[in-house]
Amino acid sequence: MTRLSVLMLLAAGCVAAQVPLPQEPTATPRKSAAAPAPKPAPPPSWKDLVYPPIHAVAIPDVETITLPNGMKLYLLEDHELLLVQGTARIRTGNLFDPPEKIGLATLTGMVLRTGGTRTKTGEQLDKELEDAAASVESSIDEGFGSVSFSCLKENLGEVLADFHDVLIEPEFRQDKLDLARTGMSGGIARRNDEPQGIAEREFTNTVYGKNTPYGWEEEYDTIDRVTRADLASFYRRYFFPANTMLAVWGDFSAPEMKVRLEKLFADWTVEQPPVPAFPPVSAKPAVGTYLASKSDVTQTFFSMGQLGGLLKDKDYPALEIMADILGGGFQSRLFRRVRTEMGNAYEIGADWAANYDHPGLFFISGSTKSVSTVETLRAILEEVERIRSTEVSEEELKTAKDTALNSLVFAFDTKAKTLGRILNYEYYGYPRDFIQQYQRALEAVTRADVLRAAKRYLAPADFTIVAAGNPEQFGQPLSKLGRPVTALDLTIPEPKKQAVQPDAPSLAKGREILARVQRAVGGAGKLAAVKDFTVTQNDRFDPSAGRLDASETDRWIAPSHLRQDSRQASGPISTYCDGKLGWFSSPRGAGPLRGVTLREMRNEVFHVYFSLLLAGAAGANVVAVDDRTVEISAGDGIVRLVIDPATGLPQQLLYDSPQPNGPPKPMEEEYSDFREVNGIQVPFHVTYHLGGKYLAESTVSQFQINTGLQLEDLERRP
Amino acid sequence: MIGHRLTLVLLLTAATLPAQDLKEFEKKVTEFTLANGLHFTVVVRHEAPVVSFHTFVNAGSAEDPGGETGLAHMFEHMAFKGTESIGTKNWPAEKKALQDVEDVYDRMEAERNKGPKADQSKIGYFGMQLKQAINVAQSYVESNEYTRIIEENGGAGLNADTSFDYTEYFYSLPSNRIELWFLLESQRFLHPVFREFYQERDVVQEENRMRNQPGSEGELLRDFAATAFEAFPYRNPPGGWPSDVENLRRGMAQAFFDKYYVPANINLAIVGDVDPAQARRLAERYFGPMPARPLPPLVHTVEPAQDGPKTAVVESQSQPLFAAGFKRPGQDDADDPVYEVISLILSGGRTSLLYKGLVQEKKIAIEVEASPAYPSSRYPNLFVIFVAPAVGHTVEENQKALEDLLAGFGAQKIDAETLQRVKTQARAAVIRRLDSNAGLASLLASYYGNYGDWRKLFTQIDDLNKVTAEDVERVARSCFVAQNRTVAFTAAPRRPAAAGAGESRQ
Repeated sequence: MTRLSVLMLLAAGCVAAQVPLPQEPTATPRKSAAAPAPKPAPPPSWKDLVYPPIHAVAIPDVETITLPNGMKLYLLEDHELLLVQGTARIRTGNLFDPPEKIGLATLTGMVLRTGGTRTKTGEQLDKELEDAAASVESSIDEGFGSVSFSCLKENLGEVLADFHDVLIEPEFRQDKLDLARTGMSGGIARRNDEPQGIAEREFTNTVYGKNTPYGWEEEYDTIDRVTRADLASFYRRYFFPANTMLAVWGDFSAPEMKVRLEKLFADWTVEQPPVPAFPPVSAKPAVGTYLASKSDVTQTFFSMGQLGGLLKDKDYPALEIMADILGGGFQSRLFRRVRTEMGNAYEIGADWAANYDHPGLFFISGSTKSVSTVETLRAILEEVERIRSTEVSEEELKTAKDTALNSLVFAFDTKAKTLGRILNYEYYGYPRDFIQQYQRALEAVTRADVLRAAKRYLAPADFTIVAAGNPEQFGQPLSKLGRPVTALDLTIPEPKKQAVQPDAPSLAKGREILARVQRAVGGAGKLAAVKDFTVTQNDRFDPSAGRLDASETDRWIAPSHLRQDSRQASGPISTYCDGKLGWFSSPRGAGPLRGVTLREMRNEVFHVYFSLLLAGAAGANVVAVDDRTVEISAGDGIVRLVIDPATGLPQQLLYDSPQPNGPPKPMEEEYSDFREVNGIQVPFHVTYHLGGKYLAESTVSQFQINTGLQLEDLERRP
Repeated sequence: MIGHRLTLVLLLTAATLPAQDLKEFEKKVTEFTLANGLHFTVVVRHEAPVVSFHTFVNAGSAEDPGGETGLAHMFEHMAFKGTESIGTKNWPAEKKALQDVEDVYDRMEAERNKGPKADQSKIGYFGMQLKQAINVAQSYVESNEYTRIIEENGGAGLNADTSFDYTEYFYSLPSNRIELWFLLESQRFLHPVFREFYQERDVVQEENRMRNQPGSEGELLRDFAATAFEAFPYRNPPGGWPSDVENLRRGMAQAFFDKYYVPANINLAIVGDVDPAQARRLAERYFGPMPARPLPPLVHTVEPAQDGPKTAVVESQSQPLFAAGFKRPGQDDADDPVYEVISLILSGGRTSLLYKGLVQEKKIAIEVEASPAYPSSRYPNLFVIFVAPAVGHTVEENQKALEDLLAGFGAQKIDAETLQRVKTQARAAVIRRLDSNAGLASLLASYYGNYGDWRKLFTQIDDLNKVTAEDVERVARSCFVAQNRTVAFTAAPRRPAAAGAGESRQ
């Protein structure tokens, strides 16, 4: 053990520490309250307290060994508790996810343990470990993978054996991949449920760039593509001894543990080429205000800031002091102004969050009631401007330095922390005495340093500001901040339906079925002659659907212009789509179609009876699924059409209906009451089932074809 | 990219401490009670030159007076505002200014109380005067000085928490600054000044808004408790109802403090690099002057018997969440350890019944958690099961599966192996928390406050070990019945289709 009295340095930062005091507290005169006194003396002011020097911190030695197979061991004895714990760190990360399979690394990390080993299923491991109140767990995060264990000393043998097996011979059983995917899908579906989560995520991803590994998100599609074979090959590429650091701490003898681990891992001899460097951060400033609208919230959650830096940057200590004075605690400028004085926030803070190996983020985040959004953001920007234009006060500097230096002792309060720090330093190539260097640099920071660093690094004009809230209640628009406002589309992309793989017979049969439908409804020629139509219908919804009954008029002009006007108790609603883009107008507002609503309208265009039945001519894929069903797909549209085997008339249309919350649900349209219009059989009654439950029915009252509709009538907004 | 994977709430207990029995631990513990009734528990751990402090007050939101919900929490915020000597630039002037604020507020309320006959223009005028008076008082404030002193002396983990049954204040310091804690902690309960009360009231409203966003989990849990309890104050959110909080007054906080913050109702724990003899001397010196006062009354309201199942539905645009609660007795009941064992059988780890059934096999939920006592434990409360349904699976489906599982659970005896496993886990879970100063301080203060003896922390393991399969069956059968049940879930709002969809997506 080396006894470094690093913390003697800390004492220099504290009040009156220069006064040499005996270490025995009883020797100080002000402790005289112990002596009987008729009247207790009034308590001293906190300013008059004199503190004895702090006891020295014992910094333990960490034994470092490289095994013959290349694996590095870090051993630290800690005999306080009868426990042994360990963690293997592997150089990998979700930064290595292929763009089409984002989530691969995370899934690999989850299923590594849950999917069991060659000799034991995941459930067998669960039972064995839980019987002993022990654990073996695994994960892969952004910049490293971990497999760790924790157990009673007495169970070390069997737990280490399981740990070894999970690390070197995982089986990735399919059922646990499916389970992990279910969990992850739940995470995707729920990611817009909390406005705070939205603000933080959109800020991070926008600053790093949404098309980079630092800023992209897993989606249903990207995790659906991941197979068991992908997990195994991702594992093989990164999990090898020369790429692994194993730290073990607890109640054991280090020389014995070394022998034990060397023997245990002697059979792990796989080799792989060195793992490449992580992709660099390639972000350009995403300047402006980004609005994530959420109509159901009463507060605006915000995150604002910019790209930050590394822990080893020369200016890091000054920047940390700067961020602390700006928004680091109860005494910070933002806390005092926004919380204490304005009463506008409960949580408000700033952080210069530096990373070991890639630029971190500088961010200010918090939440405020909707109506105070703009004034709060403005006050924050003023404070950022102030800290980069004038020096902080001597008092502020002292408070920030004392806070940082005096609390540094907590970095040494357990042996596990010391070991974890050394593991990080080795992993990222930092010197082992980095924290001592940092402490000295912190002590040397001056007011001028803080201003210089703030000036050099903070660029409030280039800030990315993300606000998640309800803009209708902001009181004043976000544009009042004088920065461009961009609306964020939070729509969760739904999984793409896999089209039936066509082969020659199914294609031929598909054409045959389609031709039969065309003949049954009046012939392809009559269908092709439809240039426009106007239909008026009544829509009745099931009470549980939570929708209002409506009378609706749809107008269509070939090939893809569709307008729907509906009247319901709450007022008129109009939507228009040209097949690609469109708009809507309702009593509660108007604007461009986006997300689910846009996809719904594009589906409607694709589903137009006359053009759909001509799909073959329009260049879509038509594939037979069975004797009476064809799958028609074009672009991102995909439907299944079921015909009545007796008449050849269309009977059902099946497709996925996008949902505002969560993945799409299957929609089933059932056609009946066919009547002839311009020589074509048209259904006058449609019944809808959504997700297997009755949803609604539409009854046509009038259907007109080729009345000479004009495009400008469709495009005209109400 | 930040991994947004949902973490499973699993009680994956890591380890236990077999030999660490009560006798061994007792050697490190010193206890003493001051003449005024204030109790201290001190534990020596010389691992590092740091020390953790925990103050436990036996009063929480369940003690909020009617119409003044949120008061205990409001007081907790006030306890960081300083004293007559900390946080002020000029106490005599500030004292007068604070009184002026109250005087104007009294006049405004007097006018308001006239109800329909109130003169709105007068109320508006007093409102303006109030703002001015608050500004004057503010000019004497040394803002956040109390917390600044703690932070610049290296304070770590500084915070407080108001629960239904108690309020806690805690932080850690480098151990050479132990006297600073004695000074600051005693002063805030000897000479508290409720400064910046009305600005802080706005902060508290923001806090409540943050925690109870419409349609959020926070709102669901609030409505859940408000539905399950008809009379008992567990029905009120610990942060208070917004309209009550909006009308809290400084005098109410003072009255609450006078009634509940009496020495015999408070206990403190100190853990770390500390000399117990020195701690005792400092305790006498700094806390000795707190006057002894009678203990406050207990909560007398008794929740009436439940006559049938209850349901709360919260409309939400979010993915569904579901909670089911069953009435159970308070923590002093002889069956208390049985509920603990049942919760571990149901949701302790990957071998638990609910995880295996709903998550692993049926895949209809992504997260399941059972809590033996909710929302708090001192008085009769709820055994609760929380479920997050998986994508494409409904609340109804999960509710049905849960009911089947609970019915099956009460119908047959649990096997000896499972019972042994959860006992091992329970023991590990308790003992494993002993290895940090802050965690230990919190446990000791809380066990002393709840049970009158910190030793319960260890003896509860013996209580758990006495639970038999028959106990589990008996309690499960009587607890998991429809008559006892309250369910709460979120459901998609009913709204006009096109307008709703368009409006929420802009």
